[in-house]
Amino acid sequence: MSEFITATADSVLRRSQLYHLQQSEGAQFAKYQDAVVVKQFSSNDSQQVKSLGVADLSTLPRSGFKGKHTPQWLEQQGVTIPEQPNCATKQNDGALVARLSEQEHLILSDLAMAGSLAQILEQSWSIEPDYMCYSLPRRDSHAWLYLSGEHVRAMLAKVCGIDLSAVEFANGQIAQTSIARINGILIRDDLNDDTAGFHLLCDSSSVIFVWQSLLDAMAEFDGKPVGLAALLEN
Amino acid sequence: MVNSQQNNRLASGGLLVDREHPITFSFAGKDFIGFAGDSIASALAANDQWLISRSFKYHRARAVLTMAGQDANTLVQLPSDPNVLADRTEISQGMRVDGQNYSGSLENDLGRHIEKVGRFMPVGFYYKAFYKPAGVWEKWAPLIRKKAGLGEIDEQFEPEYYDKAYAFYDIVVVGAGPAGMSAAIQAAEQGAKVLLVDENPVLGGSLSYDRLDAKGEVAPALRAGMIADIEASDNIDVMLEAICNGYFADNWLPVIQAKRLLKVRAKEMIMAVGALEQQAVFHNNDLPGVMMSSAVLRLIKLYGVRPGKRAVVLTGNEQGYSAALEMLDAGIEVVAIAELRDSPPISELMQAVSDRGVEIYQNHAVYAAQPSSDKKHLAQVELRAQLGRGACANSGELISCDLLCMAVGYTPTYQLVCQAGGQLSYDDESAVFTLKGLPKAAQIVGSVNGNWSTDAVCGDGYRAAVLACNRLAQQSKTITEISEPAPIADDSAASPNYSWPIFPHPKGKEFVDYDEDLQIADIVNATRDGYEHVQLVKRYSTCGMGPSQGRHSALATARIVAQATGKSVAQTGVTTARPPFAPERLGHLAGRSFYPARYTSMHQRHVEAGAQMLQAGAWYRPAYYGASDQRDACINAEVNNVRENVGLVDVSTLGGIELRGPDAAEMLNRIYTFGFLKQPVGRARYALMTNEAGVVIDDGVSCRFHDQLFYVTATTGGVDRVYQSMLKWNAQWCLDVDIANVTSAWCAVNIAGPKARDVLAKVCTDVDLDSEAFPYMGVREGHVAGIEARLIRVGFVGELGYEIHVPQHCGEALWDALMQAGSEQGIKPFGIEAQRVLRLEKGHIIIGQDTDAMSTPQEVQMGWAVSAKKPFFVGHRVIKELNEIGQYRALVGFVVDDLSAPIPLESHLVIEGEKMTGRVTSCNFSPTLGKPVGMVYVPPHKAEPGSEIEIRSSGGVMVTAKVVELPFYDPQTERQAL
Repeated sequence: MSEFITATADSVLRRSQLYHLQQSEGAQFAKYQDAVVVKQFSSNDSQQVKSLGVADLSTLPRSGFKGKHTPQWLEQQGVTIPEQPNCATKQNDGALVARLSEQEHLILSDLAMAGSLAQILEQSWSIEPDYMCYSLPRRDSHAWLYLSGEHVRAMLAKVCGIDLSAVEFANGQIAQTSIARINGILIRDDLNDDTAGFHLLCDSSSVIFVWQSLLDAMAEFDGKPVGLAALLEN
Repeated sequence: MVNSQQNNRLASGGLLVDREHPITFSFAGKDFIGFAGDSIASALAANDQWLISRSFKYHRARAVLTMAGQDANTLVQLPSDPNVLADRTEISQGMRVDGQNYSGSLENDLGRHIEKVGRFMPVGFYYKAFYKPAGVWEKWAPLIRKKAGLGEIDEQFEPEYYDKAYAFYDIVVVGAGPAGMSAAIQAAEQGAKVLLVDENPVLGGSLSYDRLDAKGEVAPALRAGMIADIEASDNIDVMLEAICNGYFADNWLPVIQAKRLLKVRAKEMIMAVGALEQQAVFHNNDLPGVMMSSAVLRLIKLYGVRPGKRAVVLTGNEQGYSAALEMLDAGIEVVAIAELRDSPPISELMQAVSDRGVEIYQNHAVYAAQPSSDKKHLAQVELRAQLGRGACANSGELISCDLLCMAVGYTPTYQLVCQAGGQLSYDDESAVFTLKGLPKAAQIVGSVNGNWSTDAVCGDGYRAAVLACNRLAQQSKTITEISEPAPIADDSAASPNYSWPIFPHPKGKEFVDYDEDLQIADIVNATRDGYEHVQLVKRYSTCGMGPSQGRHSALATARIVAQATGKSVAQTGVTTARPPFAPERLGHLAGRSFYPARYTSMHQRHVEAGAQMLQAGAWYRPAYYGASDQRDACINAEVNNVRENVGLVDVSTLGGIELRGPDAAEMLNRIYTFGFLKQPVGRARYALMTNEAGVVIDDGVSCRFHDQLFYVTATTGGVDRVYQSMLKWNAQWCLDVDIANVTSAWCAVNIAGPKARDVLAKVCTDVDLDSEAFPYMGVREGHVAGIEARLIRVGFVGELGYEIHVPQHCGEALWDALMQAGSEQGIKPFGIEAQRVLRLEKGHIIIGQDTDAMSTPQEVQMGWAVSAKKPFFVGHRVIKELNEIGQYRALVGFVVDDLSAPIPLESHLVIEGEKMTGRVTSCNFSPTLGKPVGMVYVPPHKAEPGSEIEIRSSGGVMVTAKVVELPFYDPQTERQAL
């Protein structure tokens, strides 16, 4: 297991758009694997994760591929792809493969970045004439947030018009919808059996607005931002 | 002085009040004490303060009528809130309440004298009186408008936080009375997820205050049992003090609670919305002290308040006796029951009242009520024997009383039901309503469905829940199906409606609609004026248009119109009840506002550098750097630094679209006007886009990085439309190409100026930046400051320049690296204002600013960007035809040599004689040329360089400008090719 090594957010080339805001919110930044992330916001992060928390995972690896040969290519790379669009499947290394349409897939790194499927796929891919599998710059086109806790559904009901109840929206299900009037990809991926969780990917240039909108919606439930360390504990 | 007596507070009782917590508040300048949980109206009643408001037209004294927020009598003024329902609003410590719609004081309202001339103001007098002679309305209008409206708005009011949320349920039950609770309990039992909504602060509906049996034991026991079941269920969410304010298609229900609008989607809806008690119509039926039987019961049972000391009951049903028993138990003297029915069957309740010595006058009506000397309260009623429908004997018996309790019938609360498609019908003989025609997934239960006995009401709720659950069970794993119960037996015999509780009086003042002071004669006269249809009666008389929206006037109006027009009530019908059911605030409709904003990854660096940010669409962009009072100087300095040195501008908002695949070049060739099939890899081409009408709609640069990969930029505001347009066209063309909008994946800067290469060379070592190796309009991939980058050599600002596109999350690092690398060369950031000046000097147009919805390539001097060889591109045919017929205007450059003249602004007009012949699209002072330069549409005969044009500038000053060749700066394009 990798360790968090204290670092400043601007000590690396790749920075989350949120880091200036997070600094003012008490974030402690650290290098973890190859990314600088928020390690924690407060010593209460672990409890916050269970109640209502939002974590910024925007600097973690992710990739995407689309085109009619994409399912075939991904399977050739050893990826288990979901059978249906709008479903996500966990891989052996912990990565999450989300099928956004018949021909489009999103690969999210495991939170510990222990595996490296997203990076491996990106490195393996190259544009091949007449082969319809195209890489998408998901690591930059979208910011990546993770929302978790007991109140997460009630909070999301304030910004999203989809029925996300446990019965109607199963673990691994995806909604490509509007979050606070911003297009977003919402993937249910519970943190564990007791704690509900959703990945939210939104346009990276809109993430400051989305972050502020979420914190506003979370205030009613005393929701707060959390660091990666608390997610890894659970 | 504080009125702390609470003389009318009963020694015990009051489901809603907490006697341990007294609350001090004021009304009309006097202080009162009530209890926590009291409404304003109940607390005032407890203190014997009955006068709450003044009526709209005649300023008559008005008081509690329903105690359910269903009438306009209790509208009061709070400091920041007019038209607050006093019987719905809980008191709070220090609350300041006032009356409204009075002159002088509420107690001594000077406006009440208008009643003396009331006979000169019949229905429709507005329309008849104020329209002639011509123009007189202008004189009357200010006076009349001053009298219109009720409360006063607080212009200093600060907006408060309201929001919205979505919710989804298997079944939504509206109304938590016995029918609704029964339905919710059964639905939950079968596994459905249920939302139970009620506008009251406690569950129970009529069980909270009504008396179902002589001893008064049944209702509390039934209520307690049902509440226990609801509280024990995990499947029922309860929302109290919440109102379902409308019904929209497919069971979409707006439910308002506190400062939130809940947008609820229900798979099944059960409306247990109950019925609204109606007043009897007789002389002075609006006096304070005349109230519904349900109001009497609510005051006693919910608030522990005595509604009067000496009461008469007017009844046509069992509830009159129920109220009588409750009053007797509360120590109120009930002196008489006026029983409208002739020899009704002796019921348990009636017998109990009789046993307690109350005289029952059968087949009697209250013919008139008389006020106290100050006209602020009921003093006596006149009982007369009924001779026929609405007809009474010539004389009767006067009885002193301070309370008249009316129990003459109900209308179903049909508003939501009719919004859902229900059709209301009425049987004139039995006075029974029915509602039919609801959508499949919506049902009505309880009294709104014509059930009145407790068993029928609860059974109806149970039946509806089973039907709903059984339907849902077909598609649900959690909901079980059970056998359907037998239909509910006809309960119409228990209907509480008396068929004709309307008694005209020679002196009038038998109020049909309290809101607008409309009397029987007003409704009859409306029909005599030719407005016979009930909808026309409503508009002409304003009946039902007041705050209570006809809840207590619709039935009486229908009855009177029916009688006046010789139709049945069923044929007459009632007026339409549209959403919202109850008043709702603009804050609820607006909710928490979401105004999306987009920021580039370098945003914080702009702020730190002192940029004045502006919002372009959703994007925040730096306009210029420096103090706002130094705007022009800042912009000029930025321009000069680019021309003489090197500047850096954030162009991340530029759109970016990738086209990949075997047909990528063909796609571009069809979408844009230029030729792209032979565009070499490693080269960029200007890309102009027109629509089917040949109008210029966007432009950008096409960069070929691979035989089958193009990266195309688009304008900040146009990229979404360009992307959609590409998808739309390719749905038709079916080319083998992948189209991806990568705008947010890449951020970009333009480093421009004669020293741009020197700066870039310091941080970019894997690309040969030599002008020959990397010429103008070349594209390269490499690394800048260790960041993978796409470099495009373009010249939008007319200098040596490179657009550097890097992954979004590396944008700030790129900015830092370039600013640091350029410090020696004097690099400075420049904003979009300087960029606009620079591009104008270079004669580059901005789509949307220098073009409009009619601009063709030819007239904006972009004919060079249109391929003459291609057989097709979008807009090709129209452009070809337009070119053949010649253009009617041209976009040209101009300069203003007179430096003392006001600088023309965008959209200033070109004037030729009396005609407007063109307009300015761009104009700025050019620091480089030392004078104003701009672009302008002019007619063809003025397009030749050297032509003089007259521009009407600010303040109407005519400015002479000279048409010149574009560009203004570096016509040989030597600077950008350095």
